[in-house]
Amino acid sequence: MRYVVGYTANARGHDAVHLAVALARNQDVSLDLVLVIPEDSPFNAVYPPEAGYDDILNQQAQRWLDEGLALVPDDITARGHIRRGDSEAQALIDAAVELDAAALVIGATNGGLFKRFTIGSVAGSLLHSSPVPVALAPHGYQRTDAITRLSCGFGTRPGADELLDVAVESARDRHLPLRLVSLLALDGGNSLTLADAAWMHAADRLAAVGNSTPDAPLPEPEIVVAQGRTIEEAVDRLDWEDGEILLIGSSRLAQHRATFLGSTANRILRALPVPMIVVPRDYTRQSS
Amino acid sequence: MSTAPKTVQSKESTLSEKGLKAGSVGLIGAVVIGVSCIAPAYTLTAALGPTVSEVGVHLPAIFLVGFIPMLLVALGYRELNNAMPDAGTSFTWATRAFGPWIGWMGGWGLIAATIIVLSNLAAVAVDFFYLMLGQIFSNPSLADLSKILPLNIATTLVFIAGACWISYRGMETTKGVQYVLVAFQLLVLGWFAVSAFVHVANGTAFDATAISPDWFNPFAVDSFSSFAAGVSLSIFIYWGWDVTLTMNEETKNPEKTPGRAATITVLVIVIIYMTVALATLSFAGVGETGLGAGNPENQSSIFAVLAGPVMGPFAILMSLAILSSSAASLQSTFVSPARTMLAMGHYRAISPRFGKISPTFKSPSFATIAAAIAAAAFYVITRTVSENALWDTITALGMMICFYYGITALACVWFFRASAFSGVRAFFFKFLAPLLGGVILLVMFVKTAMDSMDPEYGSGSSVGGVGLVFVLGMGVILLGVVVMLVMYRLRPEFFKGKVL
Repeated sequence: MRYVVGYTANARGHDAVHLAVALARNQDVSLDLVLVIPEDSPFNAVYPPEAGYDDILNQQAQRWLDEGLALVPDDITARGHIRRGDSEAQALIDAAVELDAAALVIGATNGGLFKRFTIGSVAGSLLHSSPVPVALAPHGYQRTDAITRLSCGFGTRPGADELLDVAVESARDRHLPLRLVSLLALDGGNSLTLADAAWMHAADRLAAVGNSTPDAPLPEPEIVVAQGRTIEEAVDRLDWEDGEILLIGSSRLAQHRATFLGSTANRILRALPVPMIVVPRDYTRQSS
Repeated sequence: MSTAPKTVQSKESTLSEKGLKAGSVGLIGAVVIGVSCIAPAYTLTAALGPTVSEVGVHLPAIFLVGFIPMLLVALGYRELNNAMPDAGTSFTWATRAFGPWIGWMGGWGLIAATIIVLSNLAAVAVDFFYLMLGQIFSNPSLADLSKILPLNIATTLVFIAGACWISYRGMETTKGVQYVLVAFQLLVLGWFAVSAFVHVANGTAFDATAISPDWFNPFAVDSFSSFAAGVSLSIFIYWGWDVTLTMNEETKNPEKTPGRAATITVLVIVIIYMTVALATLSFAGVGETGLGAGNPENQSSIFAVLAGPVMGPFAILMSLAILSSSAASLQSTFVSPARTMLAMGHYRAISPRFGKISPTFKSPSFATIAAAIAAAAFYVITRTVSENALWDTITALGMMICFYYGITALACVWFFRASAFSGVRAFFFKFLAPLLGGVILLVMFVKTAMDSMDPEYGSGSSVGGVGLVFVLGMGVILLGVVVMLVMYRLRPEFFKGKVL
């Protein structure tokens, strides 16, 4: 399998490479670092002309890419690509499709001051249109060791079962403990009843998925229901392992086989201390 | 398992050498690009008045003559561009032809010209911004806000900073926007001319003046000084025309499109310039009072004064056309000095900090901000020193264009000296045309520089008994010489020819 890494020579790009390395560790995965440089519109003609700039920019991009590749440890295969495009997000999607990548890995932040995730414009556009899962590294993600636990956020909406399938299969392939996370925002209300209902629902779903794949030697998944006055508070109340990663489904509004970050997922993203993978609607995994 | 990382440069086949989408521009598109680079509404409002002050009613003649050196140089420019498509610009070409010293000054001249035009574009945009506010709210006192010096300077700096920010972020004008801007400019200029002629026919013109064949006779201009000044101003009005000649793979037909587009562009531009020039002269005359085109009060921005009386309530369209075209040019013009400074920084001709590229936006970072600071500083200085900053900067700009264009043209002659006599075509395009064009421009430059020492030159502003235009023009060039010598002390490797 290949992962496409949206690389830029700044903190955001480094976050992305670290996460991609963590995801690729001990897996049969190679990385493709893609650096997108802007494609000039001829309708924004540079006058007086300065054609030498393009060479300089290409050399610079090459150096940046070499620096990025140097961040990847020797046990992981990585290639670098320079792409041109007027939209960085679109160029990354094109590269992912062309290279038949299983996922796109990017740094999510714009260097926001207060929240862990302030979604940058590239991440924002990708999350609205990517046909492959998008892994988002939080600001300052340094960890490059293998992932230790997989969490899967889920609700009662259509698409939850498919997401659960993806989560169960991923956890089995990677030999990771799976945790199902249901986040509830409750202002007053009968919280116990709702939490119980959520727990029951999760157990039901899991049983259904488990039955459909009888050969699964998957350790018993943990089911947790987190509550808070807001989704952000619910996220904060959960314990997260350093090596954890959260899998999340895309919104009902997403076009078939494209990601769309719904408002709940968006709020989770802002509070989350660990990386998150947004899975497109109706996505089926590539077999490795 | 250990595999050494390797880099694959995947260049898409649909991309040109310059990073532009290949085959994406048709003939009309190329003409639109050419006209948008000239920005006729802005150039006319900025240059028409100062040119009338030099040559009076012979404005149409000078506008026509001014195209000749531009054409001659552009022919040489095109040869250089074909021979060294990646080498870039005046800086690299002149360095390869004449060595680092003249190359450095060629680069400096180009940067200075673009910095001056940036400050002028911002100032014109600000004038029409306030004028338009006044027209929208039918309150002339809003238009007068641009005459309050601190407010004017503050607004201009905001415009410069905004354009710098957009350019730094790498945002660009799209095809659709460019088509609309160009069509709108041409439409409004045509409207202005027709309205002016209607006033003349109805007897409601300010100073109806009958068009005479003598207006088209460049030899009737009263002195060589006026002629030289007029020509260096009219170089400015065609500046940008040759952009289509440097296009190739991005056009649908690289063999024919650039040449045809350049021809159509110049026809469109000459027609619109002639029509507007004749309309302005017939309507307003060249008198030095009231609305007269010879009135020094009107010369910094002729349409700001004439659009109202000529177009009535529709004058707001003129404000909008000039504001939009100068704002769009302001943003796109930032790219050129930034990239030239970046190239100079990259080749160690100036501090390598100028060679920095923003990792986030992949655009020149230090150089773009430096260009904005230089344009802002230039504006603040001229505005505080001069009674009529726009007028004087346009005249100084004409000089600066003559300077770097002249150097580039002669670089072409020198670069091709070995093959210049290999055939008729080579002789004409690689030798005769650029030689004539370069010599004409440098003669214009020297003549204008000498005349501008007179404190009465241009708008009549002066510093220490020397004309402001001279101080601006020669001051900038001398500053370049000083910076160059400092650079030679600090980083001699470029000047020893070790880099380029």
